[in-house]
Amino acid sequence: MSLSQLLLTPFAGALLVLLVPGNYRVVHRFIALVTSAITAIGAISIFAGFKTGVAGMQFEEYAAWVPAAGFGYHLGVDGMNIGLVLMASLVGFAATCVSWDIERQPKLFYILLLTMIGGSLGAFLSLDLFFLYFFNELALVPTFIMMGVWGRGENRNYATFQITLYLTLGALIGLSGLALLYSQSGANTLDWVTLKVWLADKPLSSHAQNLILPLLLLGFGTLVGLFPFHSWAAPGYAAAPSATAMMHAGVLKKVGLYVLLRVAIPFFPESMNHWATPLAVLAMGNVLYCGWVALRQRDLYLLLGNSSLAHMGFCFLGLAAAGVIGVTGVVLIMVAHGLLAALSFGLVGHLTKATGSSDLDRLGGLLKTFPFVGGALIMAFLAGCGVPGFANFTGELTVLFGAWKSFPVFVIAAAWGGLIIGGVYMLRAIRDLLHGPLREGSVKSGDAGPWRRVPFLVLLAALIYFGVNPASLVDRITPTAERIAGTRTATATTTHATAAVTSHAAH
Amino acid sequence: MTPGLHHYLIVSGLLFSLGLFGVLARRNLLVIFMSLELMLNAANLTLVAFSRFNNNLNGQVMVFFIITVAAAEVAVGLALIVALYRKRQSAHVEDLTRLKY
Amino acid sequence: MDAHAAQHAIAATPAFSSQPEDLAWFILLLPLIAAASIAFGVRRSSFLSSTLSISATVVAFFLSIALFLAFGVGGYPAVTSPFNWIHVGGLQVDLGVTVDRLSVLMLLIVTGVSSLVQIYSTAYLKGDPGLSRYFGSISLFTFSMLGIVLADNLVMMFVFWELVGVSSYLLIGFWFDKPSAADAAKKAFLTNRLGDFGFMLGILVVWSATGSVQFTQIGNVLGGNPGALGGLASIAGLLIFCGAMGKSAQFPLHVWLPDAMEGPTPVSALIHAATMVAAGVYMLCRAFVLFQAPGAWPAHLWFLGNISALDIIALIGGFTALLAALIAFQQDDIKRILAYSTLSQLGYMVMAVGCGGPDAAMYHLTTHAGFKALLFLGAGAVIHACHHEQNIWKMGGLWKRLPITFRTFVIGTAALAGFPILTSGFYSKDAILVAALDGGHPVLFGLGVLVASFTTFYMLRLVIVAFFGPYRSEAASHAHEAPIAMTWPLITLAIPSIAVAWFGLGDYLSSHFNPHFHAHEGGGLFGPFNHAPLAAVFGSGALLFGATAAFGLYWGADSDPLPARLGLLGRAMRNRFYFDEIYEGIFVPMHDMLGRLFGAVDRWVVSGLGIRGTHGSVELFGRALRLLQTGNLQTYTFLFAAGVAVVVFVATK
Repeated sequence: MSLSQLLLTPFAGALLVLLVPGNYRVVHRFIALVTSAITAIGAISIFAGFKTGVAGMQFEEYAAWVPAAGFGYHLGVDGMNIGLVLMASLVGFAATCVSWDIERQPKLFYILLLTMIGGSLGAFLSLDLFFLYFFNELALVPTFIMMGVWGRGENRNYATFQITLYLTLGALIGLSGLALLYSQSGANTLDWVTLKVWLADKPLSSHAQNLILPLLLLGFGTLVGLFPFHSWAAPGYAAAPSATAMMHAGVLKKVGLYVLLRVAIPFFPESMNHWATPLAVLAMGNVLYCGWVALRQRDLYLLLGNSSLAHMGFCFLGLAAAGVIGVTGVVLIMVAHGLLAALSFGLVGHLTKATGSSDLDRLGGLLKTFPFVGGALIMAFLAGCGVPGFANFTGELTVLFGAWKSFPVFVIAAAWGGLIIGGVYMLRAIRDLLHGPLREGSVKSGDAGPWRRVPFLVLLAALIYFGVNPASLVDRITPTAERIAGTRTATATTTHATAAVTSHAAH
Repeated sequence: MTPGLHHYLIVSGLLFSLGLFGVLARRNLLVIFMSLELMLNAANLTLVAFSRFNNNLNGQVMVFFIITVAAAEVAVGLALIVALYRKRQSAHVEDLTRLKY
Repeated sequence: MDAHAAQHAIAATPAFSSQPEDLAWFILLLPLIAAASIAFGVRRSSFLSSTLSISATVVAFFLSIALFLAFGVGGYPAVTSPFNWIHVGGLQVDLGVTVDRLSVLMLLIVTGVSSLVQIYSTAYLKGDPGLSRYFGSISLFTFSMLGIVLADNLVMMFVFWELVGVSSYLLIGFWFDKPSAADAAKKAFLTNRLGDFGFMLGILVVWSATGSVQFTQIGNVLGGNPGALGGLASIAGLLIFCGAMGKSAQFPLHVWLPDAMEGPTPVSALIHAATMVAAGVYMLCRAFVLFQAPGAWPAHLWFLGNISALDIIALIGGFTALLAALIAFQQDDIKRILAYSTLSQLGYMVMAVGCGGPDAAMYHLTTHAGFKALLFLGAGAVIHACHHEQNIWKMGGLWKRLPITFRTFVIGTAALAGFPILTSGFYSKDAILVAALDGGHPVLFGLGVLVASFTTFYMLRLVIVAFFGPYRSEAASHAHEAPIAMTWPLITLAIPSIAVAWFGLGDYLSSHFNPHFHAHEGGGLFGPFNHAPLAAVFGSGALLFGATAAFGLYWGADSDPLPARLGLLGRAMRNRFYFDEIYEGIFVPMHDMLGRLFGAVDRWVVSGLGIRGTHGSVELFGRALRLLQTGNLQTYTFLFAAGVAVVVFVATK
C-alpha cells in the first residue's frame, strides 16, 4: 500500500457513504468499518515495511501542485511520523468501532468521522507544511460539528464554543507563524525536506527566529493544550461523543506537537535555546497544575481530560530538552498517549452509556458487572500513571532521561512527581468507580460483548506491544531524532550537558 | 469623427451608473437582476475598449470568460428568483427581510 | 516481518541452546506464560487456572534447584543481555539476566514459597468465584518478582519493581468489593510509588554520573574510580534507598504494610512476608557497590560531613525495627502482629545492610522468608479454623484443636525469636548482630539486642494468648484442623526454619560479597559462640529476657495487662503511633487543597475571565452590529457600493 492509497482510503470511504442513500444505515456502518479497517491494516503494513536504522524519508511521494509558490503534495514517513501514522489509523479504526450504535444521522456522522481520520492521517503524512495545515483543519472542522450535533451534557454548547474558539485561534496563530517562516526563509516553499536543507545552509536570522518561534509555540501549543491555554480540553472532551473524543484527544491533538517537533528544533535552534526554560516551566504547569486540577474532578471525562493534559506536559518537557533522547521520548509518548487516550475515552464512553452517568459520586463497584470494560479501564488507568508494561512508561522514562541533563533536578523531580499525582487520582478513580460495593440502580446495560471488545483489545494490544518491546518503535525513531536534534549544534548540547554534570559534581 | 477610448469609457460609465441606480432603487428582483447584468456589461465594454486601443487581446479573452460566467450566473439567479416567487408569491425586495436581526 | 526483530531472534536463538544461565530465562518466563494463558484462555475454569499456575511455579522451582546446583555451588557469575530494549543516544537499556549466588538463592526462595503458597491457596480460597483472577495475579506477581531477582540493570529492575507493585495492588484488592481492601490496595500502591519516586531519581543520578544503568558496568566504573559519583554519592545512595524504603516498608513509608493484610492470608504470606517486601533488601544488596562509594554531599549540605548513605540507612532500619516491635506489643489482630513483626525484621535486614553486612541481611532474608511464610500460613490456618476471626483474644486453647498448625507455628515462632542452635533464625540474627559490631555501630548492636527481646516477647504473647488458656469464643471451641493442602505446606516450611543454617548459608553469601572470604574455623552448630561470642550470648540473653517477661505477663491472663502498666505509651502503641492519622491529616488535605485551588483558578480565572470574557465581549459587539442588519437587500447593496467608492477614493488619492 502506498501512502497516497493509505491517505485516500478514508476519504474514499467518506465519499462512498455520501453516495449511499440515508436509510441504508447498515451499509454506512459497514463501509465506515471496512475502510477504517483497511486503513489500519495498511498502516500496519507500512509500519512493518519501514526500514529501521535509516534516517531519511521512506515511501516518499511527490506531485507539484502550485510550483510557482512552491506548494506540492509531498508525502513521506520517517521516524517522527511512522509511529503516529500507525497510531492514528488504529485509533481511527477503534473510533469507528465504538460508533457502531450512533442513532442520530449516522450517515453524516460516519462521513465526518472518516474525514477526521483522513485529515489526521494527511496531517501526519504531509511533508509540505501547507498541506499539513490544511489537513489538520480538515480534521478539526468535523470535530466541532460532531461535538455540537452529537455531543452530550448540558454544557455542550458552551464547550463546543470554547473549543472552537481556542483551536481556531491557535491554528490561526500557528498559520501566521508558518506564513512568516515561508516569507523569511527565502526558500519559497513550505516543503519540510527542502526547508531543512535550505535552512541548514542559510539559517534564519536570530531576529526572525525570535519572532516566529513564539508564534508557533503559542499557536500549535494551544492546539495541544499547553498551559495556560488548556482549559478547552477537559470540558470539550466531556461534551464530545466518544469517537470524537478518541480521535481528538488521541490523534488530532498530537498534530500540534508533531509540527513543533518537526519545525522548532531544526529550524529555530538559537531561539529554542532561549525558549527551552520557559517551555519547561509551562510543561511543569501542564504536569502539576493540570494534575492537581484532575485531583479534584469528580467527573470521569474531566478527570481524563486533565490527565491527558498532564501527559502533554511530558511531551513539552521532552521538546524543551531537545536532545536525541528527549525527542525520541516525545514521539514515544505521542504514540502511547494517543492509544491510551482513545482507549480510556472509549471505555468510559461505554460505561457512561451503560450507566447513564459519568459522575464518580454516583457510580461504584462496577467491576463486578463490567469485568472486561472495568478490567481494561484499570489497565488504562495504570498505564496512565506510568506503570511499566505499557508504552506510556517507556515514553515517560525516556523523556525523563532526556531532560535530566538539560534541566535542574527540581524540574525532573516535579515531572516525575506529576506521575505520582497521576497515580493518586487514577487510583482514586478506580477505587470510586470500579472497586467497593456496587451502587444500586446505576447499571442499565451490561459488559461489552465479544465484538464490542475488538476496538479496546486492539488498542490495548498496541499499548502493551510497544510497552514490552519499545525497541520496535525506538529503533525506527532514533535515526531521525538524531538528525533532527543534531541540528541543534552538537557542541551546545554537550556543553550544556557537561555543565549540568559538573555543576552537580561541584557541589 | 472616430470615437476615441474616452467615448467608450463614458458610455460604459453611464451604463454602469444606470445599472447601479437600478440595483439600488428598483424594488423588483427581476429588474434588479437586469440592472446587475447592465453593470456587468458595462465592465465588459470597458475591457473590450481597452483591448481594442491597447492592441492586447487579453481583455477580449477575459470578456468571453465573463460572458460565459454571467450566463451561468443568470441561470442560477433566475432559478433562485423563480423558486423564491413560488414560495413567497412575490419578487419584491421589501418582502424578503427574513435575515433581519 | 520486522527486520530488526528478526535479527534479534537470530541472535537470540543460539543463546538459548546450551548455556545453563538460559535456564534463568525459562524460569522467568514460565509464570508469565501461566498468567497470560489464564488471562486469555482458561480463566473460566478455576481448576485449570490453579493447576496451570501451580505447575508453572513448581517447574520453575525445580529449574531453580538445577540452576542452584549448576551455579550456586562454586559456579561463576554470568550475565547475558541479549535483548535490546531501548537504545537512544546515551541511554542503553537491554533486557538481561544476572545469574550469580545472590540471584539463584532468591530464585529458590521466590519459586519455593510461591509454590507452597499457591498449593495452600487452593484449599484456603476454595470456592471463591475470583479464583482464576487470583492465580493469574499470583503468577504475574511471581513473574515480576523473578524479574527483580534476575534483572541485570537498574531500569529493568525498576520495571519489574513497579510490576510487583501492580500485582500486589491486584492481590491486596482481590476482594475489591470490600471497601477496606480496596483502600488498602490503593494505599499500598501509592506509598510504593512514593518510594519509587526516589528510586527513579537515584537511577538518573547514577546514570548521569556513570553513563550506564547496568550493574556490572556501574560496578566497573565505580571500581575504577570510587569517587565517580562525586558530591552526589550519598544522595544517590539515599535516593536508590527510597525505593527499598517503599517496598520493604521502612519508616516513614511503613504505613502500607499492615493495611495490606486486608488481602487474602496466603497473599500476605507470599508478598508481605517472604518476597515483595524482601525485594527492597535484595535490591540494596544487588546494588551494594553504589553504597560503598565514600560518603559525600553537595556543597550546601556541608554540615552533613562525611556521613555516608549507609549510616543513614542503618539508622532508618534500626529505627523501623524498634518502632514496629513496639507497635506489635499492643496489636490484637493476629495478622497485624505478624505484619508489624515483618516490618521489624525488615528493619533488621536494612540495618544490616547499613552496617555494611549485605551477606548478613541476605542471610536473614532467606531464613525469614521461610519462617515468616510459615507463620502467616499458620495464621491463615487459624483464621480459617476460627471462621475468619482474627482477634487473638477471641481464640485460646487452640493447641488441642489444631495440633499440626500449633506445632509448626511454634517452630516458626522459635525461629523468629532466634532460639539458639536449633533454629535458622538464631544464626541469621546473630550474623546481623555481628555485622553491627564489626561495622562499628555499638548503639545499633544494642538496639538489635533490644528488638530481639521485644520480638520474643510479642511473639510469645501471640502464641500464649491464641493457643493456650481457655477457649475464648464459640468459634475457637469448634475449630478444626485445616485440610491437607494447607497443612503440608506448613510442614514443608517448618523444615527450613529448623535446618537452613546447617548448610553453611552464611559462608555461601559472604563469599559472594567478598571473593577473598574464608570460612571461619570452628564453624558448625556452635560456630557463633566460638568466633563472636558477644553477639551470640547477648542474642540468647535477649531471648531469655523476652520469654520470661511474656510468660510472666500472659500465662493464664484473661485480658491484656500491659495497657494499664504502660498508660499513654500503650495507647500510642495500640494506635500505631498515630502515623496514619498524621499522614492523613497533613498530606491528603494538602494535595486536596492544591487541587481545589487550581480547580477554582481553572474554573473562575481561566474559563471565567478568559472564555466567558471573550464570549461576552464578542456577544456585545454582535448585539451592536446586528442593528445594521436591516434585512433589506438594497441597504446592503448601497453600503457595499459606498464601501467600494470609499476604497476607490482612498486608493486613488
